[in-house]
Amino acid sequence: MTQDDDGSKAPSPINQSIIPSGDQTVWTDVSSLLQSACTDLWDGELIHGENFNLFAAMSALEIMDPKMDSGIVCRYYSLDEAIENGAAPIPVSSDKTDDVQCIIDIMDHLLACEATWHKGHSLAQTVFSCIYLLRLERTSSHALLYSYCRVTRATCNAVVSAVSEARTHEEEDIFTMTYGLPLKGDGDEKCVSMLHAVDETISRQLRACKAPSSSKKRVLEDIEPLQTNPDLEEGYCTAVLCRLRFRKHFHHVITCMRRPQGRGFELARKHIATCLSELECILKSVVFIRSNCVCGSYEDEIDDRTTASGRQPIGFDPTLNSRLCAPTPPRAIKIVSWKKAIEYFQKLLHDLDIICSYPLDPLFEGVLNFVTEFQKFKPDLVARAHLQLLLVQDGKLYGRDPVFAVICKGAALPEVAKNHDIQNNEFILQLGQLVLTSLKILCTNSAWQRRKLGKIIQDWRILYLQLELAFRKDYGEVPSTSNDENISIKISKHILVWVEEQTYWIALRFLLLGFELELYSPNDYCMVYWYIYVVSIKLAEKTHLKLMSNNDNARRKGKKKKDNLKDAAKDYQFPPVVLLLQCQIYLAEGLTMMLAALRNQDKAIKVLGPFNTEQERFFQHFELLQKACIPDQMSYLSFSESTNHARFSTLHMFNYFKDALKIAKELKSSFSGNPDRLAELRRIEQVAEHNAIALNLICRLGTLDPSLKVYFEYSHHSHFATAVVKRS
Amino acid sequence: MEDDKLEEEEGAIEYVSYGGEHHLPLIMNLVDQELSEPYSIFTYRYFVYLWPNLSFLAFHKGKCIGTVVCKMGEHRNTFRGYIAMLVVLKPYRGKGIATELVTRSIKVMMESGCEEVTLEAEVTNNGALALYGRLGFVRAKRLFRYYLNGVDAFRLKLLFPRPELSSGRFIIENEDMPQESERHQ
Repeated sequence: MTQDDDGSKAPSPINQSIIPSGDQTVWTDVSSLLQSACTDLWDGELIHGENFNLFAAMSALEIMDPKMDSGIVCRYYSLDEAIENGAAPIPVSSDKTDDVQCIIDIMDHLLACEATWHKGHSLAQTVFSCIYLLRLERTSSHALLYSYCRVTRATCNAVVSAVSEARTHEEEDIFTMTYGLPLKGDGDEKCVSMLHAVDETISRQLRACKAPSSSKKRVLEDIEPLQTNPDLEEGYCTAVLCRLRFRKHFHHVITCMRRPQGRGFELARKHIATCLSELECILKSVVFIRSNCVCGSYEDEIDDRTTASGRQPIGFDPTLNSRLCAPTPPRAIKIVSWKKAIEYFQKLLHDLDIICSYPLDPLFEGVLNFVTEFQKFKPDLVARAHLQLLLVQDGKLYGRDPVFAVICKGAALPEVAKNHDIQNNEFILQLGQLVLTSLKILCTNSAWQRRKLGKIIQDWRILYLQLELAFRKDYGEVPSTSNDENISIKISKHILVWVEEQTYWIALRFLLLGFELELYSPNDYCMVYWYIYVVSIKLAEKTHLKLMSNNDNARRKGKKKKDNLKDAAKDYQFPPVVLLLQCQIYLAEGLTMMLAALRNQDKAIKVLGPFNTEQERFFQHFELLQKACIPDQMSYLSFSESTNHARFSTLHMFNYFKDALKIAKELKSSFSGNPDRLAELRRIEQVAEHNAIALNLICRLGTLDPSLKVYFEYSHHSHFATAVVKRS
Repeated sequence: MEDDKLEEEEGAIEYVSYGGEHHLPLIMNLVDQELSEPYSIFTYRYFVYLWPNLSFLAFHKGKCIGTVVCKMGEHRNTFRGYIAMLVVLKPYRGKGIATELVTRSIKVMMESGCEEVTLEAEVTNNGALALYGRLGFVRAKRLFRYYLNGVDAFRLKLLFPRPELSSGRFIIENEDMPQESERHQ
């Protein structure tokens, strides 16, 4: 920096007052330097350095472009200026009746903001667009507003901490970004008791309104009414009370659910029920509120508004905080409507209720089923974070069961195994970590989940190989079944089978998620079903092996009694879980062959791009599985070998769909106590039935009738397609 | 007859490779009008200065009505092409102009030794998804709320044929993959 003796005499007085000159620095006027620099580089020009990459280019913001510059001044320079200008008056209105209505508007809009935040926008631009919330202490003279805002803030804080602790927030890091926001306040733990006091007062007032007129006068003298119009008192008390109570119980739900090992679930469920009934009351209050507001809007127009009254709330300015957002362009935020916000909270509460009613199944397989069933409801981030907090706490399942014990139980090992020294083996410890990480991944949104599963599947595969190697080193070649094999060998054998089973389960989940995410196009269905088919076979094989070894002892005794091996084989029943997989295998195989025959006999349009072939498509879809050798020896070559010869003339000899249907019908009694499985069986039946008919039709007419068109729909099952045959 | 007349009236579409500074405002105008994401001038410059040969413009009667902007480079041990922006003005859609533009870029990428081409498209953009589907792109991933407007994206990928694929053998890669920075690759 050039030192300018003259310049130091006349520095700008403002600058001097902010940052004084130091030993090494001095204020100087650089206007002329800038002026000459400006002629060197024109607007929009760029000096391209080596390290200037796309990220740097994308991070550049154009100042004063409202699409990019989040610091652009919209209305007020600062919060203080907004308050000075009367943007958030206290009381909101000098007319007491209007004041109460304004408070209700604020409550409603805050709820809409909160739902918008949960749905993936920044806290700063939603809930903290509320000026009252940004300066909470200002409202302390207004008990109703103060208590409501305070509990809202405390709940947001609790939700932020749950989500950040779960770290399920995937790409939604924006959710927990609270920099610069007054999210934590001293004494917020008392927010519920404060709210409770206000609730009491208004409840008393409501009782007084409802009391017979003789006693009314006496009671009314004791308490101050909520507002000045006696005819409206009851309606306003009711409308305010349900809003307060919803907040109170919702706060309870969130705190109860955080108790370790699901101990607060029973209580949480009670609060959830209350929350839901209060939400009903809030919805009903719309009739009263609208009858008292001169809104001048049509009903359907009001439905898009963020308040029950349809009025604009006072005291909100989303632009005040936009500078607090990350160094990204401001996101366009549309606050969801009041109706949608209530629907959101109803859905959230239902999702939380499912978590709270889960019996904490100690069997790993049960956990997996629960998580996948839960994910079918498409729960949002907050619910998923709570599920994850339940499943993985302190490095244990439910914060209760040590991972090794869970693995032993899952691998059908006897109780004694869980105390075995093998649990300190380096790779077994790694396996424990992998199990927990996988559980966490299963709680994330489907898009993120699929990507992470695709990566972690490699880890499962590698760990399997390492375990196999380690066991072989420690216990030598695993001998074929012997009655008195030692426990270490037994444990290692069981664990290896179990690890493979989990690997194939994850691979199958990875493949199936592709349907939900709409990643497959109809020209890829054939290879996708083929892959599902080969992975399912492996999964069924491993599951069967695991269950068989578990029954070893029982069956040995049985055999001795009967003393007839043939009979035993005849009587042997496949376990229902394996048979269910078998159903799915038949469906996948049937669909593969049907699609292959359609492709081979020109009934389906072959889409060939100018740049690559089916082989590249295959590799792109299954790259991650192929790299992990899942399943072993399966490649594009195997796919084309098994599908290239499919023809309708031979297809009718195989009864894939009929076999699936038969097993599904028989299986119903085995799953009579399990509604999820029964529903799955019904879906399988429908797909199998329709496809059997379609296949029969194509086989008989397909080659003769060129006008016959076949396409596939997901009308009966989320991932097994139903063939539809039509004459064009 | 009628069709011929129309064709004549419409005139031919002229395709040109990025030719310098005078093309930049044309590209920026088109993209600003049609795409949801805001880009600074530096983003445009980044692409067209480093890979002018991958950017093309389509003109009709002297008016720029479509453009494609791309890059290529090393990405996790693969040499990868990336289609950053593709725009054709509404009245000119459905005539294969976008396909022609993007095909030209892809051809240059292929000739330059790219192993694959990727891009992101909004899940709701059926036109673009169909176009890339016809060219052989596969939906590799879904990116949750990828765009500033909150819409999900598909990561589309086109893999070029390569010799080692046909062997059907793969080795497990024991790699600690770094976190992807999906938004800015």
